[in-house]
Amino acid sequence: MNPLMQHDQQLLARIGLAHIKARERARQRRQLRVALRFMAPALLLVGGLLLLPVLYNIWLSFTQWQLFEGRDDFAGWQNYIQLSDNPYFDEALGNTALWVVASVLFPLSLGLGMALLFRRMPGQEWFKSIIFLPRILAPTAAGVMWYYVYAPQGMLNQMLGVFTNMPVETGWLFEEQLVTPAIILAFVWQSCGLVMVLLLLGLAALPRDPLEAARMDGAGPWPLFRHITLPLLAPTLLMVVILSVLAGFTVFDLLWVMGANYPQQRTLSLAVFMYFEAFQKNSWAFAAATAVVIGGVVLAVTWLQTLLQARADRMVR
Amino acid sequence: MKHRALLPLLLSACCMYSTTAMAKEVQLFNDKGFWSGPLQTVANAARADGINLKISPYANAEQYKTFIQASVASGRTPELFTWWTGASLNTLAATGQLAPLGALWQEMEADGRFQPGVKELFSVNGQPYAVPLQLSRWVVLYDKRVFARLGLKPPASWAELQTVAARIKAAGQTPFLATTQDGWRGFIWFQELLLRTDPKAYTGLNNGSVAYDSPAVRNVFRIWSDMYAKGWFSDPRSNEEINDFVRGKGVMYLFGEWAVGLLDKAGFPLKELGVFILPNAPGVQQPAIIVEGAPIVASRKGLANPEVMKTLRFWVSNQGAQTWGKASGNYIGNDKIAAPNALISQVNTQLAQKRHTLFLRLWESVPSTLQGEMVAEFNRFMLKPDMSTAQHVMQRMQSLNAAYWSKRKKP
Repeated sequence: MNPLMQHDQQLLARIGLAHIKARERARQRRQLRVALRFMAPALLLVGGLLLLPVLYNIWLSFTQWQLFEGRDDFAGWQNYIQLSDNPYFDEALGNTALWVVASVLFPLSLGLGMALLFRRMPGQEWFKSIIFLPRILAPTAAGVMWYYVYAPQGMLNQMLGVFTNMPVETGWLFEEQLVTPAIILAFVWQSCGLVMVLLLLGLAALPRDPLEAARMDGAGPWPLFRHITLPLLAPTLLMVVILSVLAGFTVFDLLWVMGANYPQQRTLSLAVFMYFEAFQKNSWAFAAATAVVIGGVVLAVTWLQTLLQARADRMVR
Repeated sequence: MKHRALLPLLLSACCMYSTTAMAKEVQLFNDKGFWSGPLQTVANAARADGINLKISPYANAEQYKTFIQASVASGRTPELFTWWTGASLNTLAATGQLAPLGALWQEMEADGRFQPGVKELFSVNGQPYAVPLQLSRWVVLYDKRVFARLGLKPPASWAELQTVAARIKAAGQTPFLATTQDGWRGFIWFQELLLRTDPKAYTGLNNGSVAYDSPAVRNVFRIWSDMYAKGWFSDPRSNEEINDFVRGKGVMYLFGEWAVGLLDKAGFPLKELGVFILPNAPGVQQPAIIVEGAPIVASRKGLANPEVMKTLRFWVSNQGAQTWGKASGNYIGNDKIAAPNALISQVNTQLAQKRHTLFLRLWESVPSTLQGEMVAEFNRFMLKPDMSTAQHVMQRMQSLNAAYWSKRKKP
C-alpha cells in the first residue's frame, strides 16, 4: 500500500467510518422495523387473503381432490393434461377470447363515440345519465331482464315479428351461434356508459394549448382528433382497455343468468367452465388447475398492457 | 352480608332454571331456503317437547354443498344437515363421518309408521344413514277439465297413454309439459321412459353395468324423439314451467309430487288436478315408481349430543310429520298420519292397491360427478330431439360413464 493510501486509511479510522456505517445500518434496520409495523395489517391482509389462497389453489391443482376424496393425493400434472384434452375447455377458451376482444372493441368504440358526441352537446347531462343508467343495475338483474328480452316469446322476437309480419320464435339463448353474441350485446349495453364517463373525464383533462395551436395551423376535425386528441388521450384509453380486458376475462354473472338454460353453459367462458367443474361436478383439483390457467393468462395480458401503458406515457411526455 | 350470601344461590338457581327450560341448541343446516317458514313451524312445535331446534338455511345449493364438503374435509361435520340420497349419500357415508340410524329405523318400522322399502332409499349397503325430509313420488299430474271435455280417462296401459296423447294433440292442445328450465330438468322424461321400457337397464345404467349407448338407451331416445316428432311436448325453452301448466300449455305434467304445492301457489285449482302413475311399456310387468327422497343426516359427532337423536325422533313422529306436512305440503313416508293433500293421498291409495318397486330418481342415482354432464346432454337432446343428437348424447355420456367406472369397482 502506498503511503498516501495508508494515510487515508489512518485518517478514516480516526474519524470512525466503520462506526458511522454501522450506525447507518442500525438506523435503516430501525426504520424497516417501524415500516413493517405500519405495513403489518396490509401485509397480513394481502398475504392471508390473497397470496395464501393463491398458493393453496396452486397446490390443490396438483392433487386429486374430487368431492370428499383425494385432497391429499398428489396428481402431478394430471389435471393440466386433462385440461388440454377437454373439448369444452377449448370452446370456453375460444369464447373467452371472443369476450375479451368484444368487451374492448364495442364498449370502447361506442363509449368514445358517445363521449365525443355528448361533450359539447346541449342537454348532455341528460343523455349521459340515460347512457350510464344500465351500469347501476346489478349484472344478475340485467341478466334476468335480458333473458326475457331474448326469450322465444320475448320482446325481441315480437318486434322482429312485427317487422317481418310472421311469427318469430328464435331461441337466442339456446343456439350455439347466437348465445355468445346475444349475451355480449347485453354486456355492451351495460358497460359502455362507464367507458363513456371515463373517456369524458379524460377528454376534459386534455391540455388546451396543443389543440388550439393545431387549430391555428389550420388542422381540420379529423386530423385534430387523429394526431392530437387521440395520442393525448392514450393513457386514459389504455386504462379503459385494461379494465375492459379484465372484465372480458372475468365476466360471469351475465353468463350464469342468461345462459342458465343453454345446455353447454360451461363453454360460454373460462370462468363459467371453472365454476361448473368446481361447484357442480365437485372436481376441485381440476377446477383449481383451470383457475391457475386463467390467472396465468390474465397476468400475462395485464403485464403486456402495463408495458404498453408505460410506452404510451413516455409518448405523451 | 345477607345479600352477599344470597347472590351465589340466586345465580345457581338461575343457571339451573335456564338449563331445564332451554335444551342445548341443535342446528339443522339445509339448502331449502324456500321451506324456511315450514321448517320454522316444525321448530316451534318441537319447542313444546323441550327441543331447541335452529333452522340454518343456505339460499344457494352450490354454496351449501361446498360448505358441507369443506366441513367434512376438515373433520368439523355439522351435527344435523340435509343432503341428497343415492350416489351423493354413498360418497358422504364413505367418509365415515355419518351416524348410522339403524336403531331409529327399527322404531319407525316397528309401529308401522314407515313401510318397508322406504328405508332402502336412505341406506348405504343396507345401513340407514338418514331420515326423510321429504319423499316425492314422480307421477303425471293432469288437468281434469281437459280430460273431461275430451272424454278421457287416466291411462292404465302404454297403448292408452298413446291414445290419450294423440287425442289431446288432435284437439289442438299439447299433451305433455316439459322444459329445460333451470338447467336440471333434462333427465325427467329419460328416466321415466327407461324405467317403463327396461327397469333392469335403469338399475344397470347407474351401476356401470349398462352403457349409455346400449340398445335399451337407444330405444328410449327413439321413443322420446318420436313423441317430439308427433308434437306431444311443449316448447322446452320456456322458463315458466309451473305457470305454463296453469296457462294450459301442456295438459299432462310429469313431475315430483312437490309440484302440487307450487301449482296451488300459482293459482291452479287443486280440485281440477288429477294424478296417475305413468304405465309400463308392453312386456314390462313389474309395477314401479320413481321416488325422490331428500334426507336429513346426523354426523357421528352429532350423536354425542342427545338432543340430536331427540330432534330426529320428533321429526319422524306423527306430530312432527303432521306439522311438517301441513306447513309445507310434503310427505315423508309416515303412513300413520293423513297425507298432506288429496293428490298424495290418491298416490298412496294407488300404491297400496298394487305393490310397486321404488326406484330412486336418476339425478340421485347417477354418480354425482356425472349429474351436471347428464342433464346438460339431455337438455341438448330436448332442444334438438332427433336421432343424430341422440347419437351424440349417447356417445358423450358413455365416454364419461366409462371413464368414471374404469377407476371404480362396479357393484
